[in-house]
Amino acid sequence: MFACLYLADFPVQAVLRCEPEQRRELLTQSGIVILEGSASNNRVISLNDAARQLGIELGMTKLQAQSCGSVLAHQRNLQSEDAAQAALLDCARMFSPRVESTAPGVVIVDVDGTEKLFGPLQRLAARILEQSREFGFCMNVAIAADPDSASCAARSWEGITIIPQGREAQFLGRLPVEVLSPAPEVLDTLEAWGIRNLGALAELPSVPLVERLGQEGLRLQKLARAETSRTLILAELNDEFLENFEFEDPVESLDSLSFILNRLLQQLCTRLLARALATNELRVRLDFEVHQLQTEAKEEVYERVWKLPLPVSDAKVLLRLTCLELEGCSFFAPIKRLTVQATPVKPRASQGGLFAPATPQAEQLEITLARIRGVVGREDENRMPCVGSPRTVDSHYSGSFAVHAFSSEHAVAGLCIERPVVALRKFRPALETKVEFREKPHSVMLGKRSLAVLAASGPWSTSGHWWNHSAAWAHEEWDVALKTSDGPGLYRIYFDRMRTQWFIAGMFD
Amino acid sequence: MATPASAVLLRNEIEARIPAAFSFCTRQHRGSIPTGIASIDDAVRGIPLHALTEICGSNLASSGKTSLVMSLLARATQQDNFCALIDGQDAFDPASAEASGVNLSRLLWVRCGKTKQKLKPLEQAFKVADMLVQSAGFGLIVVDLCDFPERLVRRVPHTSWFRFSRVVERQPTALVFLEREPHATSCAGLVLSLKSRPAVGKGNLFTQCGMEAGILRTLERKPPQAVRPLFSLRSQWAA
Repeated sequence: MFACLYLADFPVQAVLRCEPEQRRELLTQSGIVILEGSASNNRVISLNDAARQLGIELGMTKLQAQSCGSVLAHQRNLQSEDAAQAALLDCARMFSPRVESTAPGVVIVDVDGTEKLFGPLQRLAARILEQSREFGFCMNVAIAADPDSASCAARSWEGITIIPQGREAQFLGRLPVEVLSPAPEVLDTLEAWGIRNLGALAELPSVPLVERLGQEGLRLQKLARAETSRTLILAELNDEFLENFEFEDPVESLDSLSFILNRLLQQLCTRLLARALATNELRVRLDFEVHQLQTEAKEEVYERVWKLPLPVSDAKVLLRLTCLELEGCSFFAPIKRLTVQATPVKPRASQGGLFAPATPQAEQLEITLARIRGVVGREDENRMPCVGSPRTVDSHYSGSFAVHAFSSEHAVAGLCIERPVVALRKFRPALETKVEFREKPHSVMLGKRSLAVLAASGPWSTSGHWWNHSAAWAHEEWDVALKTSDGPGLYRIYFDRMRTQWFIAGMFD
Repeated sequence: MATPASAVLLRNEIEARIPAAFSFCTRQHRGSIPTGIASIDDAVRGIPLHALTEICGSNLASSGKTSLVMSLLARATQQDNFCALIDGQDAFDPASAEASGVNLSRLLWVRCGKTKQKLKPLEQAFKVADMLVQSAGFGLIVVDLCDFPERLVRRVPHTSWFRFSRVVERQPTALVFLEREPHATSCAGLVLSLKSRPAVGKGNLFTQCGMEAGILRTLERKPPQAVRPLFSLRSQWAA
């Protein structure tokens, strides 16, 4: 048995599925037409039922369509249609891996052997219909013994149609001949003969039909008799998860953008979940409306890629993260198009210990870290992250360190050291100072006061990068105990031989 | 003027409506993280969870406050807790932390004041602390305010400390502020004040530092003034 999933007015549905739910309902009730062609020759190529009721027909110009009543005119967006077709395939793959992308908005699924998983055909069709709503589609589902009969039924009847095996010709007999999409001259001939439905076409004798209409006539008759049999041309898995939206009026605020961004992310996550996937890399592209009169040569596109430390498939988390990242950006022109692309990866699988201490919830932690970055900034002047997990670096230079991305998922077991040691508080950057030196440091300037050295340990010579003149360094380190007003203070000072200057590196505290 | 009888009547009426209006809220000891320094752990039973702790010490002399916090972080991370260090003036040294035994992969380091932002570094530190306390899941949050001028920290409204203490009360988290002087007053569950003693050397090397801790406030009872835990810390090269 084969199920055909059919989206009526496919270009309209491809545009509507990216709209927020409430707006989608409003637009469905009002007329919407999709136009294609140059500005001077814009023609209607698709329209919804509300537009048909206003008297709009295919092929009308934009002006003619708008003169029929209040309709919303959208330019055709091929990228949206590709994304909608990919989503339709993903929706179909939730029920069977054998899926054919028959035409834009038409997908045929081989549902043989799915009874144990999804129950009888009626229940399966109902589940397909229910699932399609999550993808933002309004589709017809027809199930028949051969793919072409299923396709004809889905194109003709709304909702669910199930044709019992062996009664296909009887069911299809009532349908008009146009359902088979014959060539215009063949359709004219059939009309001239008085053949208006498939039942009449099926009853014609085959040999005289071939003599008059050729192989095309025979093909149409076989379709009408439901005598065709073919194997499905299986669609390849598409790993591109991309959604885009073109605004009718360019938007300027992040609030307006976030509504559509939310919808696009929901669509992406629905597709990812349908394939049991998640994403760890999100690419957002904003196309600006740049007028020709603007003299400043600025980029027309803003593109950003966010690498997430863990796979995420929750649209809310992705929306919060994206909005927090975009909050820090300033855009010089209104946004006319939004594109979001997700890189698919396998979802994370983790098992928390029952008696282990509480750990930050991974998705919530990512949002918190993004908010913290918004407060303290992303990177310092040396391009070192301001938020992350510290790491030591294998280097002779005492001040070197690295900051890695912090994640509660990637923690490793550490060494168990029992005895506490004296820790150093670093001065970043190191404080310039003056040292009275008599074989060893005698006094050190700390702020505006000269402090006597009670004891000194050193010198410890270190150097590095001697092969690179600009990065070369050579230090003579001393650990000194200074007599301060609060008691003895243990400091690390060093003499920079390249700059011939004393510095205080930090305090042992 | 209200007579004692009318005061009792009034009290009874209020208690009838709000039973806990005049009852005392007793704080309970609900777990702690050991500092790893035996003398301090013996005296205060570690740094309490669900409470705000202040560790104070001089900014000029080596008081041992940073070493104590490193030891605490080491213990907390070794117990599989995730910890956060909000570094007010970017003074944290990852090498010292690693030498102390801190599992750096379990430590979140937030460096305040490194970029030009709307908020000043002190405000950043408090804002980030608030976010982390609210987010839950961290066993220990350390806020290092040592390098801020004392006059700035003193200006932090008391309501901020109160708010922190109330929020952390509901979380299995130890919130530790590292300062020069105590500021949270009654909002703090534990206040330790540390002082240095002369460093000990061996040949040309400093090998050990002596420290003394004063207990200014604890959760349960009035702290005994006489108890001043002494401890010594070895230098990295001697350990």
